[in-house]
Amino acid sequence: MKQLLVGLSKNKKAVIGLSILVIILLVAIFAPLLTPYGASARVGRPHQPPSWEHWFGTTRIGRDVWTQMIYGARTSLAVGFGAGLMITVIGTVLGIIAGYMRGKVDEVINFFTNMILVIPNLPLLLVLAAFIGQASPLVIALILGFTSWAWGVRVTRAQTLSVREKDFVKSAEMLGEPKWRIMTFEIFPNLISIVGINFIGSVIFAVITEATLEFLGLGDPNAVSWGIMLYNAQNASALTVGAWWDMLAPCFALALLGLSLALINFAIDEVANPRLRTGSRLNRWKMLVRTGEGRI
Amino acid sequence: MAFLLRRLAFYLAAFIAAATVNFFLPRVMPGDPIQIMFGSANANLTVENLNALRLTFGFIDAPIWQQYLTYLQSIFTGDLGRSIRYFPAPVSEILGRATIWTVGLVGIATILAFIVGTGLGIFAAWKRGTRADTAISLLAIFTTAVPAVVISLLALFIFAYQLRWFPSGYAYNPLLDPALSWTYISSVIYHGTLPMVTMFIVLLGGFAITMRNNMINLLGEDYIVMGRAKGLSENRVMFWYAARNALLPTVSNLAIALGTVVGGSLITEVVFNYPGLGNVLYQAILARDYPVIQGQLLIMTAAMLIANFLVDVSYVLLDPRLKKA
Repeated sequence: MKQLLVGLSKNKKAVIGLSILVIILLVAIFAPLLTPYGASARVGRPHQPPSWEHWFGTTRIGRDVWTQMIYGARTSLAVGFGAGLMITVIGTVLGIIAGYMRGKVDEVINFFTNMILVIPNLPLLLVLAAFIGQASPLVIALILGFTSWAWGVRVTRAQTLSVREKDFVKSAEMLGEPKWRIMTFEIFPNLISIVGINFIGSVIFAVITEATLEFLGLGDPNAVSWGIMLYNAQNASALTVGAWWDMLAPCFALALLGLSLALINFAIDEVANPRLRTGSRLNRWKMLVRTGEGRI
Repeated sequence: MAFLLRRLAFYLAAFIAAATVNFFLPRVMPGDPIQIMFGSANANLTVENLNALRLTFGFIDAPIWQQYLTYLQSIFTGDLGRSIRYFPAPVSEILGRATIWTVGLVGIATILAFIVGTGLGIFAAWKRGTRADTAISLLAIFTTAVPAVVISLLALFIFAYQLRWFPSGYAYNPLLDPALSWTYISSVIYHGTLPMVTMFIVLLGGFAITMRNNMINLLGEDYIVMGRAKGLSENRVMFWYAARNALLPTVSNLAIALGTVVGGSLITEVVFNYPGLGNVLYQAILARDYPVIQGQLLIMTAAMLIANFLVDVSYVLLDPRLKKA
């Protein structure tokens, strides 16, 4: 765990990704201080281009785009990290149990996991959301959490299968430690990078999917979020009438958040898997020496 | 053979699971399920029509398991009900017409993205640590992390609205009649290019990054070192030793990726107003046309399962060990 954090702090991709994420987080938290307007208030004439008063212009019904964007960051971050956490917890717990217990338990978990993996995710979510009607961000996060854990189970289980054969697990078994203890304290710490990648990947997935469902008109139109901004802009034919700011602002926000998370994810992969590490040969060698692996 | 039969049984179970979701959803929602399913219908739905629809979806005066069997029976006989919005058009006919466009668009984009992406992945792994690798990796990260809806909207904004290189919607010029003429075909190509390129970009990164990381992991294996030590050329080691083995997991990823592919293509079609499955689904969502929305899930699941089965078959051919298992 500590090694992973030290490695990340020296990885350029991780630092850039994390900095962007922190900036988005700060903007979301201090949104009321960064704008004089209310998130859903009509504060200007419709479709005003960007100006000193309205940095990113106004929407068709005269809301301030910048205000909507920074308040929308709260929704995207909350749904992303909330659903991401749910997906990861369910996936990790089931994956470790399946991989460690094996036998019948494994067969049952594996069967359902594979089944969910072959049913296309977005069409399934669309059917669920369509019956629920106007799904609020919270409802969307819950649907995502309950339906999207299968990938996590698959990777965690595979890794558990290899970790459980290691000597320290065998010796803990010899000592008669209970199974839950072995799974929590012997196996889980060795899966931390897989769990991290699963978590960040799930956050990206949740952010993207929330925006997609809302864009398609399955969200709650009164919510303030990037997906609803896209939905409203699309309904207002923003691109056709030349109000590009209305459409591009949420696009930019989604791209930036996605990019920052993906950089972090890629970095965790690099740090956890030394073979993926790039950089000049000399630097690689220096790093190996520093961590003690390259000692002659 | 036993392996393939086992897979077939599994896919059948998965398909029934998707159908089960369809069956129970309207029944667990608060309110009258028949009202939920067919409530958005207008006056042209007569009593006889409604009764026929009820029968298809298993809304009969019988215990729930009999309703369930009735619904499964309609599905396995190919009866997906009728669209509420375009009554009395059968759902299978509406979806069938749209499928042709989607298969053409998604098929070409996926195959191109797979070839180019895998090639880029091999190249990046080969040149790892260089600027070329960094550029490819960053491009791949970008295209996988930015939502398909954003990439599509940006492409639409830049190339259709700003530069005006491509039209902003439809599969062909709506003034033309479909015919096997050059005017019609060129119109189809002209209208299809931008959505296809967009889809290609959406898919490219995933294939590239998977292949790159698979390759780099394999480059440390003993048989690669052995190949180099034997004095084989770098090309031979890269393509005949590393890439061949790195491709296997990529092929299995392809099957799972198809699910995402289907999802991403839905969005691109909606943005470009392309008359494929995605757009049909979008219109159905707007009109709350539930039979179409449900039929869509079944069609897409069936497509996924067929694709997975083809991958299974190719696996048996590629990996001799599976022939015995």
